[in-house]
Amino acid sequence: MAAYVSMGEAHRRITEYLNRFSDAVSYQDGKTLSRLVSVSSDAAVLVSLAEALNTFQDANRLFRQSEKYSQYADILLPMFRALQSYRLRNLVESYLAFEKASNAFLQEFRNWESAWALEALYVIAYEIRILAEKADIELASIGKTPEKLKGAGSFLMKVFGVLAGKGPKRVGALYVTCQLFKVYFKLGTVHLCRSVIRSIETARIFDFEEFPVRDKVTYMYYTGRLEVYNENFPAADHKLSYALTHCNAQKEANIRMILKYLIPVKLSIGILPRQLLLDKFDLNEYSDVVLALKRGDLRLLRHALQEHEDRFLRAGVYLVLEKLELQVYQRLVKKIYIMQKQKDPNKAHQIKLDVIVKALKWLEIDMDLDELF
Amino acid sequence: MADAGRKPHKPMDRRNNFYSSSSSSYSNSTKYRNSNYPKPSVSSRDSSWITPTKKSTTRNWDSDDGRRNDNDDGHQDYPTLVGTCPFMCPAEERARRERLRDLAVFERLHGNPAKTSPNLAVKKFCRTISIKDVQASDVRPVPVLEDTLNYLLNLLHSSDQSFAVVHDFIFDRTRSIRQDLSMQNAVSDQVIHMYERMVKFHIISHRHLYRSFGNPNVASVCHLNMEQLMKALTTLSNLYEANRASHSMCQNEAEFSSFYLLLHLGSDKQVEPLSLWFRSIPSPIMKSKEMCFARRLLRYYRLGNYKRFISTSEREASFLQYCIIEPYVNEVRMLALSCLSYGGYKLQPYPLLHLSKLLMMKESDVESLCADCALETSSDGTGKGLVATKQSVIKKSSGGFQKYYPMESERIERLCTELPEL
Repeated sequence: MAAYVSMGEAHRRITEYLNRFSDAVSYQDGKTLSRLVSVSSDAAVLVSLAEALNTFQDANRLFRQSEKYSQYADILLPMFRALQSYRLRNLVESYLAFEKASNAFLQEFRNWESAWALEALYVIAYEIRILAEKADIELASIGKTPEKLKGAGSFLMKVFGVLAGKGPKRVGALYVTCQLFKVYFKLGTVHLCRSVIRSIETARIFDFEEFPVRDKVTYMYYTGRLEVYNENFPAADHKLSYALTHCNAQKEANIRMILKYLIPVKLSIGILPRQLLLDKFDLNEYSDVVLALKRGDLRLLRHALQEHEDRFLRAGVYLVLEKLELQVYQRLVKKIYIMQKQKDPNKAHQIKLDVIVKALKWLEIDMDLDELF
Repeated sequence: MADAGRKPHKPMDRRNNFYSSSSSSYSNSTKYRNSNYPKPSVSSRDSSWITPTKKSTTRNWDSDDGRRNDNDDGHQDYPTLVGTCPFMCPAEERARRERLRDLAVFERLHGNPAKTSPNLAVKKFCRTISIKDVQASDVRPVPVLEDTLNYLLNLLHSSDQSFAVVHDFIFDRTRSIRQDLSMQNAVSDQVIHMYERMVKFHIISHRHLYRSFGNPNVASVCHLNMEQLMKALTTLSNLYEANRASHSMCQNEAEFSSFYLLLHLGSDKQVEPLSLWFRSIPSPIMKSKEMCFARRLLRYYRLGNYKRFISTSEREASFLQYCIIEPYVNEVRMLALSCLSYGGYKLQPYPLLHLSKLLMMKESDVESLCADCALETSSDGTGKGLVATKQSVIKKSSGGFQKYYPMESERIERLCTELPEL
């Protein structure tokens, strides 16, 4: 449980935080500001502040006392509540308060010139999503409708609106877009991505190259995934490959996520990954699929799909992999052709269907002539 | 599904307005599908559907500001509406329509177009309803809605009117039932069962409409029927999901999920790609008999395996599944002809007899189909055959009405004569 803090100490801590906050704003210190608002982190300054708030219940008074702080009351009073609730594990209340604080913050942000506070805004955008997810878990556990994440999505759209302008703040739009993607993907309302994507890709104020690399990679990853779901393989290949090439080589977890979707795409256009790659990034669910394609082994493909069915379904690549069957046939027939050619080059261009049936039977696949045709 | 027409929520009176609640921007981000209470999906035409939500436990935790913050809970502003109308049609509407002589054939007392009775009048679907104006006395509670549904679905067997007329009436009146249900935010096994029956009605209608291809008006009715079928099915999936939290799986969920899948066999622009939909289906449903059947058909369809598509459908489809599959069967047959025509050997026409067994059609039908597809047939001593001319069949505009060829199968014929209970 939270440590006990004396009244005097509590007062001191709160005032110190208030000073830091107002100084950060006055001196346009984005980095410090961003550290002060990351409610869900375990930063020492915030943990100690939360403890202080438990003791010193009437933070309101402090705001009224000083002109310096009162201008931030709209942001900080709810922020304090959010922090307190979070530490006390009241996640729904924490979210609600944080939403209020975020709205107030956004209003202020609008008025600030230049993009100095973008980093803090990023933290706010991240936090609101995380808190909403946790709040929804809490709601579901008590049998209520989880709809805070939806609300977070609304807020993020507002932020996007604020950033989508001609000024220097616009480079932040891609980060917010990625947060929105994460929200929509989690909710399953992926079709909502369309409108943001359209804004990013067609609005004249945005130049894709201006955005930070990190955001571009994330953006390409999500839009690439959408292309996979819609089975637009050339587009998916382009986007996911972009994400892969520009991804920080040390972020192995991210690379793995990109590969998870890129591999089925590449397989569909006939490019097979090396086993080394699969081993390195722990993607061995694809090993048998690759082998089946190489060998023309239909039985192995079906077996592989069955064995990892749940995983492939959850990733949304199952249907893509199923379609590889056609390529496996091609490979099988080609092999037969090669073998026959060796035996009798003259008759090579015609393969008896019976032969193929035999080959398949050997693989325990039961198909008659009609189906083969 | 889509809430394209939601009106922005009227904010509660706030004494302190230095913050803007995120819910006021709700109208910006439009469609949220995944809320866990039932909402019929709204097409862009039904611009004024409002779905009231569950009553929130109003919390007064915000002691600093000293005011209620219900509005922050997003859309939990309105208390649940519970209907009180005891009749199939509210008295007011009944009187009004009598005056205006706006009574359907089934509602007329002794055929009099200006007179009806509480036993005959059924509430009409009304496009423009705003939740603020709705009175509890105009809304029918769930038990009354169930009785109304029973009455309506009974008309399918008991009436001597033509199918088109009966369908039209039931189509509209069940839409009104769904509207009343959604306004009351009703979620229960009883409600689920009602939606299931309405979905079944639309599926059966779909088949009837598809088969009466000759009639030019039918195309638009068919399209509208499909639209409502999808909406009802989507609401049903939301209901299943909402119910899952409270108790175990509904026994029919597998069957209705298979309907959804079969309706999306073709890849014409869908709101949600199938891959994504699969993610939201729980594992036991995915592995159910009905879903495995549907998934197999999907695979055969996508891989172009016409033989197994047709034979599996014939062997395993239930009546309702077959209703949905039937339009695809013709498409698959044309694919088959295309393959054979393209891949065959010119000097050896493919015997129509064999083709008829493969495609499960009468031989004469095969010949007609070939003619429809502008493919040549020839005859020699042993019988007619399809000539391979390296010609593939150009698919007619999708959605366009194609001539319907029945499936030559005892099992299917038997299925189609035994109408399911609705």
